[in-house]
Amino acid sequence: MTRLEATRVIVGLAGDAPIVASLGHPAYDLFAAGDRPGNFYTWGSMGLASSIGLGLALARPEIRVFVLDGDGSLLMNLGSLATIGLLRPANLVLVVMDNEEYATTGGQKTPTAHGADLDAAARAMGVPRTATVRTEAELVTVARPFQGREHGTEGPAPQGPAVIIAKVRESAPTGKPPLDGVFIKQRFMSALGNPESATSGTVL
Amino acid sequence: MTTPAWASGVCAGIHAAGSRDVVYVPDNPLSHVLRELDARFRDIRLLLATREEEAFGIAAGLYLGGRLPTVMLQSSGLGNSLNALTSLLLPYEIPVLAVVSMRGDAGEWNAAQVPMGRAVRAIFDAIGVPHATVESADSAGETVRIAGTTAFGTRRMGACLLPRRVTTGSQTGSDPVAPS
Repeated sequence: MTRLEATRVIVGLAGDAPIVASLGHPAYDLFAAGDRPGNFYTWGSMGLASSIGLGLALARPEIRVFVLDGDGSLLMNLGSLATIGLLRPANLVLVVMDNEEYATTGGQKTPTAHGADLDAAARAMGVPRTATVRTEAELVTVARPFQGREHGTEGPAPQGPAVIIAKVRESAPTGKPPLDGVFIKQRFMSALGNPESATSGTVL
Repeated sequence: MTTPAWASGVCAGIHAAGSRDVVYVPDNPLSHVLRELDARFRDIRLLLATREEEAFGIAAGLYLGGRLPTVMLQSSGLGNSLNALTSLLLPYEIPVLAVVSMRGDAGEWNAAQVPMGRAVRAIFDAIGVPHATVESADSAGETVRIAGTTAFGTRRMGACLLPRRVTTGSQTGSDPVAPS
């Protein structure tokens, strides 16, 4: 499975749930898989996608929050797994696109190419639900229980947080998200129903 | 254990600025603030982070979800935070109130704290973050409140610095003893 194929699976399952993407290729693929207001593309702050998703999940416990991270990015902020394991927001789904390389910067191998196991790390930090998947079918099976509410899933949603390590092949990006961070933020917050007063105005 | 007046003021200022989420990396003086928030400001959520950069990332997510977040850190952690500030909070105009407990200023005993302590204001100036300094215990509440309302109102992060002469009550004090 390529990263873009895995990204399309998550976008398809997310419905209108927000998706936070790590900078570089994960964000490019999210855009290519389907630009939408509920996409939060980062252009910097490497390592913080999972932290942004965690904060959002804590702020809005009633909605599911997806994060598309990279293995290199998560390795830059491994403490995030401990904080997620500590706070355990049930609505957070962290998908790590593990291509075992720093693809955005030229394909240098990451430690996951040499055995570093992010699934085991998440479990060791107290994350209650973790999985490693290698095919689209496996990813669908693991991620479907967390799909957005408008899909009309039966019964109670599974309790997260969940960390899904998707072993993916690198694929050349085919799109590039909007560059303006303020635009990305304002569109995202409006889509979540908490627009900034700067864009929505205020009733006096 | 009596809460120092400066710490009560910081808590009141955070609350008055509308912030109900405090993401923190612990620090000795800030322990007074954390204890007071836990005891008397039950509507404020305290969230522990492993590192200051992570704390700012969590705060950014809280803001995207409609909250007005505060990050509390020691000044030594500013160095850990710069990538989050310069490539996320500032370009995306995500406002966070940063409450910074100073090390390395007057009264410091540990030379390892001095270079960053000296650099804090210059760094904030260089990256364009407005900062205010709490000059006395009595003014702590208003200084923090105004820093917060300005940050959230203008959608630009702001910092409020707590010097050791205020948090330790002495210009030349030794290392503050951990409260029992």
